[in-house]
Amino acid sequence: MRGLNWIGTEGDTGASGLEVRNLSVRYKQNASGVYNVSNLSFSLRPGRIFGLAGESGCGKSTTAIAAIGAGSVTTEVSGSSFYRGTDLLKLSLDQKRELWGKEISYVSQSASLSLHPSIPVGKLIAHPLKRHLNLSGGTLRDRQMQLLGMVELPQDEELLNRFTFQFSGGQLQRLALAVALACEPKVVIMDEPTTGLDVTTQAKISLLLKRIVDTKDVSVLYVSHDLALLSNISDDLGIMYAGQIAEYGQTAEVIGDPRHPYTKWLLGLSSHTDDRYLLPGIPGVPPPHVVRDKCSFAERCLYVREECLADPVELEAHSETHMVRCVRSRDLDRALLPSRPQPQAVGNSDEILLEVDKISVRYPMAPRYSVKDVSFDLRRGQRVGIVGESGSGKSTVLNVIAGLVPFAGGKVRLKGTTLPKRSKDRSRDMSKCLQLVFQNPDTALNPRHSITNILLRPLKLFRPDIPADMRQSALNEIMEQVRLPIEFLNRFPRDLSGGQRQRVAIARAFLADPQVLLCDEVTSALDVSVQATIMELISEMSAERGVAVIFVSHDLGLVRSFASTTVVMKDGMVVEQRDTRELFTAPSQSYTRELILATPSLGQQNRRIDTAMPPSDNVLVVR
Amino acid sequence: MRRILRTWEGRIGLFLVVGTTILIAVGPYIAPYSPTEVGLDQFNQSPNSVHWLGTDHLGRDVLSRFLSGGRSIIFIPVVSVTLAYLTAGLVSMVAAYKGGIFDLVVSRIVELLMSLPSLLKILLMVAAFGPSTGVLILAITIANMSGASRVVRGAVLSQSRLDYVKSSEARGEGVLIIVVQEILPNIVGPLAADYTLRITWAIIALSTLSFLGLGVQPPQPDWGLMIQDARASIKAAPLVAIVPALGIAALSVGLNLTADAIVRWSEGKEGST
Repeated sequence: MRGLNWIGTEGDTGASGLEVRNLSVRYKQNASGVYNVSNLSFSLRPGRIFGLAGESGCGKSTTAIAAIGAGSVTTEVSGSSFYRGTDLLKLSLDQKRELWGKEISYVSQSASLSLHPSIPVGKLIAHPLKRHLNLSGGTLRDRQMQLLGMVELPQDEELLNRFTFQFSGGQLQRLALAVALACEPKVVIMDEPTTGLDVTTQAKISLLLKRIVDTKDVSVLYVSHDLALLSNISDDLGIMYAGQIAEYGQTAEVIGDPRHPYTKWLLGLSSHTDDRYLLPGIPGVPPPHVVRDKCSFAERCLYVREECLADPVELEAHSETHMVRCVRSRDLDRALLPSRPQPQAVGNSDEILLEVDKISVRYPMAPRYSVKDVSFDLRRGQRVGIVGESGSGKSTVLNVIAGLVPFAGGKVRLKGTTLPKRSKDRSRDMSKCLQLVFQNPDTALNPRHSITNILLRPLKLFRPDIPADMRQSALNEIMEQVRLPIEFLNRFPRDLSGGQRQRVAIARAFLADPQVLLCDEVTSALDVSVQATIMELISEMSAERGVAVIFVSHDLGLVRSFASTTVVMKDGMVVEQRDTRELFTAPSQSYTRELILATPSLGQQNRRIDTAMPPSDNVLVVR
Repeated sequence: MRRILRTWEGRIGLFLVVGTTILIAVGPYIAPYSPTEVGLDQFNQSPNSVHWLGTDHLGRDVLSRFLSGGRSIIFIPVVSVTLAYLTAGLVSMVAAYKGGIFDLVVSRIVELLMSLPSLLKILLMVAAFGPSTGVLILAITIANMSGASRVVRGAVLSQSRLDYVKSSEARGEGVLIIVVQEILPNIVGPLAADYTLRITWAIIALSTLSFLGLGVQPPQPDWGLMIQDARASIKAAPLVAIVPALGIAALSVGLNLTADAIVRWSEGKEGST
């Protein structure tokens, strides 16, 4: 342990890593005095990964970019960030350019967007080598090969002539890593580098990163919203909330003994897999910028006291290697999170509602089937989960059921009647029974329609039983059920947050009075605290109405806590389909096991991914 | 509207468009002389107290001709472009959304229309059927069809795979409802911008035609025609050409600035999440 020196002191000027002191950032568009990040201090040490976690809008990416002096013209950055005795924030752009890419590098979230699509990857890797190290000819080629080997891609010269579209997402992220590590930097900033990748790919990349950090003595700042992932790979962990650090310490301590109510709740939500209980999401929304006059979490905190509202709370040492911004950090030992029984569907009968019978989909020109011979039954009120990696065909299955895929083979039967393939050929009654909720609430609601208009549509189409003069009260009622204020009816989707939009989408689905709710990755675009409230809503409303749910997700934890039966898909085919509890405790297929092991879970530091994975996904994809 | 007025492009643009339109609308009623009255003894006069903007080579009052000559230059383009949007635009909207054979056929027809340069198409039609207002409208409509259809197509394709469209498909809504109620409100920004730009283009095309002697026929007062008339005596009476040219410029620049403001407004609206 590094003792008192674990977090750098005032005099420490980043002899070996990066020392960030009192970093504050504000967007110039805001009123003066309104900060988005305030007084942030942390240290990056060689051979260690510092994980910075938080929900969207908490300022974690802003911090990462500002820390290396790369803040944009729209931001105003103050504080200091020392690297080898010099303050990066005081350097000129030219001076910083000498360091960026050479000693300090940055990996962004989407490798497919950050790597130039029309320059061969070999040249992309060569850029920093030529620019900073003046390599050329044979030495350049040797270094390129060496880097490919380092990120565990085949050391094949032919690879260097390829373009980004000829690689898979995981391979691209490896290439992005190779570009970032080309000049052997001392500090690497990673901004959600594995978000959007499959769990198995994510596990492999994380493992690779950890090996490189250990052998090359790099200091890494790893920004992510995924606490479970960070608990596996990071050495130190900071939890950000509303532009400030809420809790900061060695990962094992923060995870094992969280002291801030926000951390406790986030950890609870990240590790929740018990299907008998429901852990509700955190009520309210985070403040959009730094709160200066009181504890910024006070409004959402279950344990709030008067003193929390009186003064701003400082970050205080809980132990030598653990700091917390909470006045009650010591007396909240036994604080338990609220949980309640998972609503179980009423009228869970044996009557088969929906039969999916050997459906297959092959798009014209596609080399293989997107979905092949998928069959399963859905009983009244039953909850079926479909899990699989991206490209496994799980969403396609849902679209076939909804009648949105014209190229489908096989049959879908609703209460014994075979449904026409396309939604427009189905009767109104059939469409009414099957309602869809989409992944991305930003695009699922027509941006130019008011919430009232959006919700009236299913009422007019599917509910002739509700007379026109009763529609308004039906809208008011459903808004209350999805816990949205009635004033929102007059607003447009752009005025609502992501979670609120998803509530509107759920309201729209339930207004049709369906028998089956088709949920396509409904939570994956949302933060973890919002995810929980959406799951709660779907669970309650479907249970109350006896609506069956098909729940497609890549998140095994969610499916585990929600679905009674789980279907595992890979490459368009069903690998395994069984009772959820059995499947998760004793998976019979090796693929299922791989998927479960690759899913990061809290406090399993390093053990799982180390043992689960063969080191590389070296198979090349050529499209 | 208020958002458009908030930008300087929007303010200047709308001012120019509204100003010119008012001038064109009330001009004929406030013109001091008849625009076609010839006064051979007073040709090519400089501005004076009787003829404020002077006279042309036939001794006609320039101010009166200018005030009366804007009608066709705004009427024909607006009608033509509106027609092009109502026909080709609507068909392409449905075609782009539906895809399949219908889209294939519509796209090929549009490409066929596109293969001839616009001005050539107009010249051919006018040469064949003579330069009447009806033919001019028809010719400019056809010249605008392919472009309008392309813009509509691109705009629809950007929306047609989004979830809100899928959601209405899953409800079993009809094609027209989806296209008009769901998609159209979301592409109004780019379409409005293209619409105004097309009117600008049509104004210039019409002036070109008049200049070539294939548009509005003399002795009718018309801005394009006036510029053509002024050629012979441009040294003696430059105002005969400059004044209508300023009118055309004000209208075109005004429409363009308004279009810019509309684009910015529609982007800003989508950007503010």
